Amino acid sequence: MESATTKKTAKKDFRKLILEGYKNHVLEHGTAPKSVFKFAKDLKMKEEEFYAYFTSFDSIKSAVWIQIYEDTISQIESQEVFKEYSAREKFLSFLFTWIEELKKNRSFLLSIYGEGSKGMLSLPKEISDFKDKFKDFANEIILEGKETEEIATRPIISDRYDEAMWLQVWFVFKYWLDDRSPRFEKTDAAIEKSVNLAFDLMGKSALDSFLDFAKFIYQSK
Amino acid sequence: MAEKLREQQAIPVSKVQRAAKFISTGAKVGGNYVKHYAKKMVNPSMDKEELHSNNASDIYNSLSELKGSALKVAQMMSMDKNLLPRAYQDKFTMAQYSAPPLSYPLVVKTFQKHFGKTPEGIFESFTRSAINAASIGQVHQATKDGKKLAVKIQYPGVADSVSSDLKLVRPFALRLLNMNERELDHYMAEVEEKLLEETDYVLEIERSREISSECGHIPNLKFPIYYDEYSSDRIITMDWIDGKHLKEWLETNPSQKSKNQIGQALWDFYHHQVHNLKKVHADPHPGNFIVQEGDQLGIIDFGCVKVIPEDFYEGYFALIKKDLLIKEEELNQIFYNLEFISDKDTAEEQVYFKGVFKEMISLLGKPFHVDRFDFADDGFFERIFQLGDRISNDKMFKKSRQARGSRHGLYINRTYFGLYNLLNQLQAEVDTTKPEWLK
Ligand SMILES: Nc1ncnc2c1ncn2[C@@H]1O[C@H](COP(=O)(O)OP(=O)(O)OP(=O)(O)O)[C@@H](O)[C@H]1O
Ligand SMILES: [Mg+2]
Repeated sequence: MESATTKKTAKKDFRKLILEGYKNHVLEHGTAPKSVFKFAKDLKMKEEEFYAYFTSFDSIKSAVWIQIYEDTISQIESQEVFKEYSAREKFLSFLFTWIEELKKNRSFLLSIYGEGSKGMLSLPKEISDFKDKFKDFANEIILEGKETEEIATRPIISDRYDEAMWLQVWFVFKYWLDDRSPRFEKTDAAIEKSVNLAFDLMGKSALDSFLDFAKFIYQSK
Repeated sequence: MAEKLREQQAIPVSKVQRAAKFISTGAKVGGNYVKHYAKKMVNPSMDKEELHSNNASDIYNSLSELKGSALKVAQMMSMDKNLLPRAYQDKFTMAQYSAPPLSYPLVVKTFQKHFGKTPEGIFESFTRSAINAASIGQVHQATKDGKKLAVKIQYPGVADSVSSDLKLVRPFALRLLNMNERELDHYMAEVEEKLLEETDYVLEIERSREISSECGHIPNLKFPIYYDEYSSDRIITMDWIDGKHLKEWLETNPSQKSKNQIGQALWDFYHHQVHNLKKVHADPHPGNFIVQEGDQLGIIDFGCVKVIPEDFYEGYFALIKKDLLIKEEELNQIFYNLEFISDKDTAEEQVYFKGVFKEMISLLGKPFHVDRFDFADDGFFERIFQLGDRISNDKMFKKSRQARGSRHGLYINRTYFGLYNLLNQLQAEVDTTKPEWLK
């Protein structure tokens, strides 16, 4: 019994040790470690011990993204007003808080994604776990937005709204990487403007009246 | 050349703009109280013929690129209510709102960044949406300890984009104001400096406090108290000033006595700042004043404060003196110091410009030449416009390739224009006090 708990805490620490060790290595050297073997050795552990927690360096990076995401969610959910927010405001609140969490890891993220980020066209694969989680969150917002009619239901297109919101998250990330304004105020402005545009597009608009009319003309031919 | 001329003729020059023009180029850039002119900009009675539509659309195109501080400069520079035809009005109004109000999550985030708390964590109540939108921020109402408070929050990124916005506004300014590049650069530095100051809310509070404590003795003025613990360089918390904006108040048909009382309070406020403090609330547009119960004048928004250098002060007001008893040499020196004339001028030019500026300043100085002045006298304003007309059509001015009037003049002219305009709107008659040496 006794030993089981100690083992568990020891286990947890190992995972953390690897995570922190990886971040430190990137921060200090500006690049990822050369090999798992070398990295494990620096941390004074055996290579196979490393694999007990992570399958590759990519899975460490993935864990960092998940951590940031989860910290963001617990932050916004701790705010009283969050429950009262509209869908648009919830998404804004997510992005504003997420950026604050990213800030805590800025140097690390810059080392990895900063250089040549303009060429970062395809999504790095370590992001995909975060993307999946975010999409779950986005779909909750979308569902709620549809219920309150803040978001219009449109054939085919509205199934892709979560993807559109994800693209926005990624846009904000890239914008923030290049942002040199004090307190990243420009990123705040970019979030505000892009989310407003997105929700205006997703909301009921002339587009819907147009689709409705087009359908009518088509059917009554 | 022909092209140039056509442009110049095609851009309608309103009375106010003309007036400004002659008050020195500085006033052209600075002297505008039509800051919130977008909505009122178009005079419906304006003849379409007056406006070359190509030019209008060009101007609109420049305007629509404006945002944040550039918009503010454009507003400052435009002396003209008749600038755009009605068709462009809506577009422009949209351009102005291209910065929509801050979302509540961003307000929350700004609070957290600066105070580590949400607005709810600080105040007993806080309006979720803004009560008033201003050009670089928005105002919410809050309560704490039973007190009603105004909380002004700046849009993010405004301070950072001042310089780039000013570059944006350059071509527009050149065209609209009919200035050459040299003239414009002469003032841009001053405008940029002032705009940057306007985005620094810590400085604004400091100055508000300073001026309001130094003007506290003036009758019928009310100043809000500022709260440091809920303020930062992007947020200002102060007392809520209950009351009506000048225009709303005038709609309630106040008595002449009331109007004179408000007018006098305004005059006294400016008198004390200019002549005793030598620093002045340089943004006398109607939105920055609130009339309270009992004809008290509430003063908000010390974003723009101009410190008046001593030598500029002496030269400028020496010219306003009723009887110009100064010797020719001295006068030359003053004109020279105020940059109305320079070494680059020919003798003929010097004589001409001295004459013009003397005439103009003595006209502007009229209220100073009597003990009591009736600002309801539209004839006075009419004469200013006429002189402006005459001068702006004069070829000596058109030929001149130099900026005239010192950069300090920019804000001082703007201030006096604003003050006179306000007093005219009020139709007030006031005791035009002046320092002993000016009598
Ligand atoms: N203390 C206050 N009490 C009541 N209303 C206020 C107060 N402060 C500001 N307001 C309202 O908000 C408006 C804008 O405020 P303020 O003039 O301070 O902003 P600003 O950013 O300097 O705008 P601008 O440069 O366009 O004048 C005012 O016209 C007024 O209606
Ligand atoms: Mg104001």
